Amino acid sequence: MSDTKYLFRRNRTWWVKVAVPAALRDELGYDLRRSLRTSDLDEARQAREPVVAEFRRTIADAERRRRRMCHEPLDSGSGFVVTAREDFSDVTFLLEVHHPQLARAAQPGQFVLVLAHERGERIPLTIADFDRDAGTFTMVIQAVGKTTREMQLRCQVGSTLHAVVGPMGCPSDIAGAAKVVCVGGGLGIASIYPQLRAFQERGAFVIGIVGFRTEELIFWEDKFRRHCDELIICTDDGSVGIKGMVTDGIEVALARHPDVDELVAIGPPVMMRACAEATRPHGIRTTVSLNPIMVDGTGMCGGCRVTVGDEMKFTCVDGPEFDAHQVDFADLMSRQRRFRDKEQFAAERWARSLETDTADAPGGGRR
Amino acid sequence: MTKKTIRTIPQERTTIPEQPVAERIHNFCEVALGYRPEDARREAERCLLCPEPACVLACPVAIDIPGFIEQICLGKDRAAYDIVADANLLPAICGRVCPQEDQCELVCPVGDTLEPVAIGRLERWVGDRALAEGWDTGAAVERSGLKVAIVGSGPASLACAADMAKAGCEVIVYEALHEPGGVLRYGIPEFRLPNHVIDAEIANLTKLGVTVECNTLVGRLFTIEQLVDEMGFSAVFVGTGAGSPRFMGIPGESLHGVLSANELLTRCNLMGALEFPAYDTPIDIGTRVAVIGSGNTAMDALRVSLRAGAEQVACVYRRSREESPARLEELIHAEEEGVEFHWLTAPVEILGDDDGAVRAMRCIRMELGEPDESGRRRPIPIEGSEYDFETETVVYAIGTRANPVIGQTSKIALDERGYIRVDEHLATSMAGVYAGGDIVTGAATVILAMGAGRRAAAAMKAYLGIRDTAVVYDERTSADRRWFGIDAGERNFTRLRLPADDAVGVGGT
Ligand SMILES: Cc1cc2nc3c(=O)[nH]c(=O)nc-3n(C[C@H](O)[C@H](O)[C@H](O)COP(=O)(O)OP(=O)(O)OC[C@H]3O[C@@H](n4cnc5c(N)ncnc54)[C@H](O)[C@@H]3O)c2cc1C
Ligand SMILES: Cc1cc2nc3c(=O)[nH]c(=O)nc-3n(C[C@H](O)[C@H](O)[C@H](O)COP(=O)(O)OP(=O)(O)OC[C@H]3O[C@@H](n4cnc5c(N)ncnc54)[C@H](O)[C@@H]3O)c2cc1C
Ligand code: SF4
Ligand code: FES
Repeated sequence: MSDTKYLFRRNRTWWVKVAVPAALRDELGYDLRRSLRTSDLDEARQAREPVVAEFRRTIADAERRRRRMCHEPLDSGSGFVVTAREDFSDVTFLLEVHHPQLARAAQPGQFVLVLAHERGERIPLTIADFDRDAGTFTMVIQAVGKTTREMQLRCQVGSTLHAVVGPMGCPSDIAGAAKVVCVGGGLGIASIYPQLRAFQERGAFVIGIVGFRTEELIFWEDKFRRHCDELIICTDDGSVGIKGMVTDGIEVALARHPDVDELVAIGPPVMMRACAEATRPHGIRTTVSLNPIMVDGTGMCGGCRVTVGDEMKFTCVDGPEFDAHQVDFADLMSRQRRFRDKEQFAAERWARSLETDTADAPGGGRR
Repeated sequence: MTKKTIRTIPQERTTIPEQPVAERIHNFCEVALGYRPEDARREAERCLLCPEPACVLACPVAIDIPGFIEQICLGKDRAAYDIVADANLLPAICGRVCPQEDQCELVCPVGDTLEPVAIGRLERWVGDRALAEGWDTGAAVERSGLKVAIVGSGPASLACAADMAKAGCEVIVYEALHEPGGVLRYGIPEFRLPNHVIDAEIANLTKLGVTVECNTLVGRLFTIEQLVDEMGFSAVFVGTGAGSPRFMGIPGESLHGVLSANELLTRCNLMGALEFPAYDTPIDIGTRVAVIGSGNTAMDALRVSLRAGAEQVACVYRRSREESPARLEELIHAEEEGVEFHWLTAPVEILGDDDGAVRAMRCIRMELGEPDESGRRRPIPIEGSEYDFETETVVYAIGTRANPVIGQTSKIALDERGYIRVDEHLATSMAGVYAGGDIVTGAATVILAMGAGRRAAAAMKAYLGIRDTAVVYDERTSADRRWFGIDAGERNFTRLRLPADDAVGVGGT
């Protein structure tokens, strides 16, 4: 059999072609090819080796660059430096960022928009804690898609984020309530912390309710205990505290304290809706912090619009907190799915690009 | 030079080379390619160099138009640039996006018999020459020691920043987004105003000593009050724009696929969504797009949609073509590029599918009735003329409101619509705080915003006691660039009053 590995003929001229691994096709195209300017197969075979070697080097270089990009800590040279990181589980992690002005200005209930790198997406994340003396603020992030997973992989202590802007949104209203229930679940567990602390500092009686899947995933328990008069932990499997959802915790709390005058809930929309339904019969003032898709966070795009009591509101400037009994949750959940296909595509592509190992690039003119 | 007359000048307006339609709808390169040197000289010859030029009066920033055109005729491009830049630091931008046909070119007497002088194209040419040659206006002025904060980085802010820096102040521009430029950056697309032009013009500002700090949402990170009371700024200019999009309140507005023109444009221009997945921000416009409204913003949304791969792009407007507020050039470009126009049509409902996505838009036909308060004939729905219009994306380009954050976080007085209230010097209700641009007037134009920025700067200089010889000797003619024997190049800035702490020091000795 004749050896035509890496070779193909166009018109009568022999060409070399080396396939490009999927992860690099954005950069290099489907394959690398070059004419050998000969119609003679033997000559072509002889000329082939250096060209193939060169193409392999090109691919290996691109792969090295890509890997460096995928795995290397983010470093945009900005002043937004990650000063601490903690991993609570395989999906939940904490980042502390140096930003003295922001730490000074932050109020409970506010959030920041983060652009991890130049080509990234602006994503909103709640300010889960702030330390005005140290000049830092904290975010607790769930890695759910491309951007958050990339941050999980690439944000190390010393990394810099391309852009951080905030604090955004109206601060929570923590005056007034004498006995308050603060509920956090999913991505809202840490987000509820600044409010709970503020309520306590204001002298309210604070009942904290936080929901986790299981015991190992519990974090910040001490912080919560310190600032709660009563802490109810709910776990899906009952390994700690109440077995069940945060709504089960709410039932317990309300049974014990019929005089609760406010409930604040942060978490996934389904959870917040369930909380709203749990308090509705009791007529307890209930506040939720909504999390629609955002772009600018300054009231300029309207992407974050939500329906609250038949009125259109922009979450980033009118919220993020709204009266739970007025919020159209179905609308919110539907709008969160706006880009589902693209998000899924991006997340899968990201996962794939981490896996592909091109140390031994597949050879041959595979179509 | 012999006096030119309407008969001796080139009769035909010099056309500007454009990218062919078939090509340009597939790319984001500029549509209008700009004059070549010979085009510019020829067009410059068409100017009559009127002794009392109407064009200058019609220019919101009073560029000495015959002055700079004369320099182009003489082949002195650098001198032409200096004259333009004296009034307008962003000529490459304004030459591209100003509605000259309603301003300087509208009143040019050449236009009475022929087509008016293409002032805008000449301005752009001068601006582009300067960018290509790296010219700047780097006026070396003595530092006054006064600090001025500028909130927002749109054209109003940039113009104000330039003037304050030229007057020797230390100027810091605070912008909420991660890139400066305001609408120039996130709104106006690349094919009308390339980003490198904005970058270059802003780089010129930094050469003047202006510092631009992005990622700073004033009002939340610190307030206007803090700028004045705690952060040591002697004066503040607020140019936060009117970018908050309006919706109509018809059923179906929360369906996926309904978005504001600002969201579409921001995703594409600022966030690079058209290069998804190389950039992380997604956009999904499907194959059919309907844009509601017919202003410049609508034209940009329509033309971006075409370039993003939509096959059928329609503009829905409740009045007729004559009433369309878009610049004629943009309208014609959009028509050439294959946008379908549905004049005298208004949406009444957006229809969705089971998945919450847009399926169609229900429209009603309109007819024009009596003129309303704006002088345009009021559209009246024709009963029973509803019809469904299939589309996957509905874009709202029906106007905007004031950006809300400053209003929410400061005590500056607003009017009933949320815009900042100012007096004739553009001073707000707070001492030392001035405002201008869209945040005062509502959505207007780049050049009006710049004009406001400059007027505010003049008032701020007066407030700070900085005297500017250009203001003192304001008698200028285009023929003689000297004012009462003082050369324009020599203008200096004299402080009338010392900053407060210096004054204390002086008093102590
Ligand atoms: C005010 C606010 C506060 C938030 N606080 C936190 C927090 O403290 N911790 C945390 O883990 N998450 C928080 N979120 C959610 C977080 O922004 C999203 O999880 C993140 O944007 C997902 O991006 P991704 O690319 O990783 O995932 P994707 O795969 O892109 O999306 C996953 C889900 O996240 C949502 N999402 C995607 N892009 C955006 C966007 N630009 N803006 C908002 N939502 C988006 C979508 O609804 C989608 O269903 C908050 C959201 C809001 C609006
Ligand atoms: C799509 C589109 C196309 C247009 N086309 C044209 C055209 O062809 N010709 C023309 O003449 N005009 C055009 N216009 C109008 C023109 O762009 C505006 O009138 C002009 O940009 C207004 O300038 P500005 O400086 O007042 O505000 P903007 O350009 O709106 O800038 C305001 C800036 O302030 C920032 N900001 C807001 N709040 C804060 C805060 N609290 N802290 C810090 N920063 C803040 C914003 O992020 C923004 O960058 C167009 C407008 C749009 C939307
Ligand atoms: S009005 Fe027209 S002809 Fe007269 S100076 Fe201006 S541009 Fe020239
Ligand atoms: S995120 Fe753009 S308006 Fe709220």
